[in-house]
Amino acid sequence: MSESKKQRIEDSYDVVVIGAGNGGLAATAFLAKQGIKVLCLEQHNLPGGVATSFVRGRFEFETSLHELASFGPESNKGSIRRMFEDKLKIDTKFVQVPEAFRLITTDSGEEMDVNMPFGVQNFVDTIEKEVPGSKKSVENFFKVAEEIGEAFAYIGSMKGKPDQGVLLREHSNFLKTAAYSVTEVENALGIPEKAQKILNAYWAYLGLPMSRMNFTIFAAMTLTYAEIGGWIPTDRSHGYTTAIDAKIREFGGRIEYNTTVNKILVEEGKIIGVETSSGDKLKTNYVISNATQTVVYNQLIYPQSEVPEIAYKDVNARIHGLTGFVLYAGLNASAEELGLKDYGYFIMDNMDTDEIYDSWTKLQAPKGLACTVLNNAVPDCSPPGTCLLNITTLYRPEAWKDVKPEDYVDLKNKLAEELLTKFEKATGTSLREHIEEIEIATPATFARYAKLYNGIFYGYEPESWDSMVPRLMSMGKDVYIEGLEFAGGFNRRLHGYSSALNDGVMSAQLTLQKILKERDKV
Amino acid sequence: MSKENEDKLEVTVKSNTRDLFAFTKLMPNRKKRFERASSEPIREDPIMDLMRKLHPERQYLLIDGIKEETKSTKTYNLVPDPDSETKELAYFRPGQYISLKVDLEGVRITRPYSIASSPKDSLKGFYELTIRKEESGFLTQYIWDNWKVGTKVESSGPEGFFYYEKLRDLAQIVGIAGGSGITPFRSIAKAIIDGTIDAKLMLLYGSSEEDDIIFYDEFKEMERNNPAKIKVVHILSSDIVTLEGCEKSFITKEIIEKYCDARSSTFFICGPQIMYNFVEEELKKFNLPVKQIRREAFGEVKDILTHPDFPKEVAEKIFKIKVHIGDLTKEIPAIATESVLIALERANLNPPSKCRSGECGFCRSLLIDGKVYINPVSDWRRGADKKFNYFHPCASYPITDLEINIPREL
Repeated sequence: MSESKKQRIEDSYDVVVIGAGNGGLAATAFLAKQGIKVLCLEQHNLPGGVATSFVRGRFEFETSLHELASFGPESNKGSIRRMFEDKLKIDTKFVQVPEAFRLITTDSGEEMDVNMPFGVQNFVDTIEKEVPGSKKSVENFFKVAEEIGEAFAYIGSMKGKPDQGVLLREHSNFLKTAAYSVTEVENALGIPEKAQKILNAYWAYLGLPMSRMNFTIFAAMTLTYAEIGGWIPTDRSHGYTTAIDAKIREFGGRIEYNTTVNKILVEEGKIIGVETSSGDKLKTNYVISNATQTVVYNQLIYPQSEVPEIAYKDVNARIHGLTGFVLYAGLNASAEELGLKDYGYFIMDNMDTDEIYDSWTKLQAPKGLACTVLNNAVPDCSPPGTCLLNITTLYRPEAWKDVKPEDYVDLKNKLAEELLTKFEKATGTSLREHIEEIEIATPATFARYAKLYNGIFYGYEPESWDSMVPRLMSMGKDVYIEGLEFAGGFNRRLHGYSSALNDGVMSAQLTLQKILKERDKV
Repeated sequence: MSKENEDKLEVTVKSNTRDLFAFTKLMPNRKKRFERASSEPIREDPIMDLMRKLHPERQYLLIDGIKEETKSTKTYNLVPDPDSETKELAYFRPGQYISLKVDLEGVRITRPYSIASSPKDSLKGFYELTIRKEESGFLTQYIWDNWKVGTKVESSGPEGFFYYEKLRDLAQIVGIAGGSGITPFRSIAKAIIDGTIDAKLMLLYGSSEEDDIIFYDEFKEMERNNPAKIKVVHILSSDIVTLEGCEKSFITKEIIEKYCDARSSTFFICGPQIMYNFVEEELKKFNLPVKQIRREAFGEVKDILTHPDFPKEVAEKIFKIKVHIGDLTKEIPAIATESVLIALERANLNPPSKCRSGECGFCRSLLIDGKVYINPVSDWRRGADKKFNYFHPCASYPITDLEINIPREL
């Protein structure tokens, strides 16, 4: 056996973080900065999970980020910018994407083509122009959204235990919308149907129909983008995740790559350590898992008898979200030459989100796409005279469950061709003869690199009963094994890069408090 | 329903009471849902199962047959080792390779070999690897001496990007092969014939002498039976040419023009480095878009000294590398003209590796101190990796003493 296989690492840590995705990296960096002895174990040889990049030919592709929320301009920093610049001081650069989105709907009778600039007033005015008479109701949407943002901040600051009186007095519109879907509240606000269709464009970032998606989280997300814009790193997501990795080591924290955690060791309901595929037996009383609840309870807790019944019930009650399919193309002409003027395109057959979601349950041409042309935000992201195009769609994992390896490539190609055709038609462009490099990611690709259960990268679906509000208010009550916290897109703040990063910090703070309390006792 | 009193907006979805009540029921409802849910563990993960079939971390194989192709070439028939967890072979794309992991008298090395059989053959339970004995290759010598029917061999899953991609490539493939670079084209040709790929292949195959030609009869037969799809021209550098379908030449612009319409073809090149250097110069004369020329990663740069920007003054030097791996720190010697990966393997420190060409990034390591030479054609690093001093040991040469951090083996 080679020495690299036998080689051990130090065997005792205050905290072990499982996974170096957004949530795991943020948690590790936070704890390392506090001087906590923390080890992050990552099964892949790169940080980031799905927040990474890859190289084909003369192109480096962004893997999954469309636009980062909660970053914001220097003058109005969002939570992620504050985390990156002020707290962690990582060496990275972000730029704002040029517009909120371009929404194109293609069904006959349903055609729209709306270019939405950032800015709340711009949203209101653009929608008013398309749907005269909608102004007041859309303004009200943003007013309620603002109150919801404040209420979230308040609940977070109270560690999930808000005072009901304060909620009632100061956040009543939040209280009254928290249990309803987007459709229910938008109807109550009197937003005309066509205006809803435009306003709901960001739905694909959370990926469940408006009839099921909780209003509060959707409104808060839309407001964040409208207010402080969407942002993208200049050197792909790998740029900032590698920058966080560098900071972690500078703070004295540790990351081991190529190291899979096989077991989380539990004794009498308490974490006592972890075991890895490299044979490490590590002692710790605290684990922050970027691996999901689904994976931890069903595969990692050892012995299995230590998994309480409620943990299985918790996971089984929740609705696992979506996986996806991405066509990455390096084109040998510039975006300008090709007539691709915009950065972010939402291309939907129509804005009946139930119908679009339903199209993702079958192995067929998907009815909804989210696309980016990175050069329109980061002009030098590819060599002169070329550009990068990502076309993304989503799938329910069940749609892929019977695919056989020998049919896999043909299926990939068929769906990719359908995506491309749809994109070309909607944008009036002709791209295929310009494809110099192409890569296609499927649910199996996400399962391969990020070891995601069923390839799912959108966490549990935020219907009202399982949206951010009840999740935040369950804080502390959802710890079934002492010393175990989760961090990332399946946790309290739902999926999405900024949510996962913020959740990582929150889980690290909770763990830190427990450690400090423990130390005080000694 | 919503009304505004002066500045204060009051939203009502159903009624004031019902909305507030709905909020108070959120937590109890969630609790109820949990209570009502099944307490059965989740055992299935069909997407992960599909992934493992497509991309197994390791495949445990057994040599089931050996065929002599030429005086220096053998084809090994590999099947799943019945004593192992490998029950079926991973399906692949014609042109892909597997990375063998071989224990060479205590030194564990990896080596990529293109799969020479068709993907459909993997469904029948076998891969074929055709290996040419290299004059100075200590691995191929070892294989010649030791691999017998029944020998166990460990490999990666299928890897690499040297394959025909319908959405990108033109349906006329021109394969340019040199020496044992023929192997991926055998897989591609078979896949064209059995319908896995819908394309045509014009193969220009360079060999030095007639008896170096691998698969002569086999390709002749494929050509005979599928004249519309497969064509082969042998390009020989030796003076003696007796076989049918041979040109005495190099793979020049003129030869390419004689047999292909370059503008409407996608070129796939696989062979020794020296052939790339020559053929690429010839192809430049056609001024083709970059997308029409695809190269297989050619493995380790054989003679780094021939690269004009390599600092010649360090050629004779042996440097020290301080290697961190896990909690171990070890100092090892490294020859300037050998890749850092080879130095690590000689010292029995093996970071994970597959392509040995700089391409796959599997050996990605951190350069803490010192300088390495990276050949620009093998530099496939991500932008941020360059910024933060990550490097791929398989495509990097020490030109000072180094301190590095390498990942542990999987």
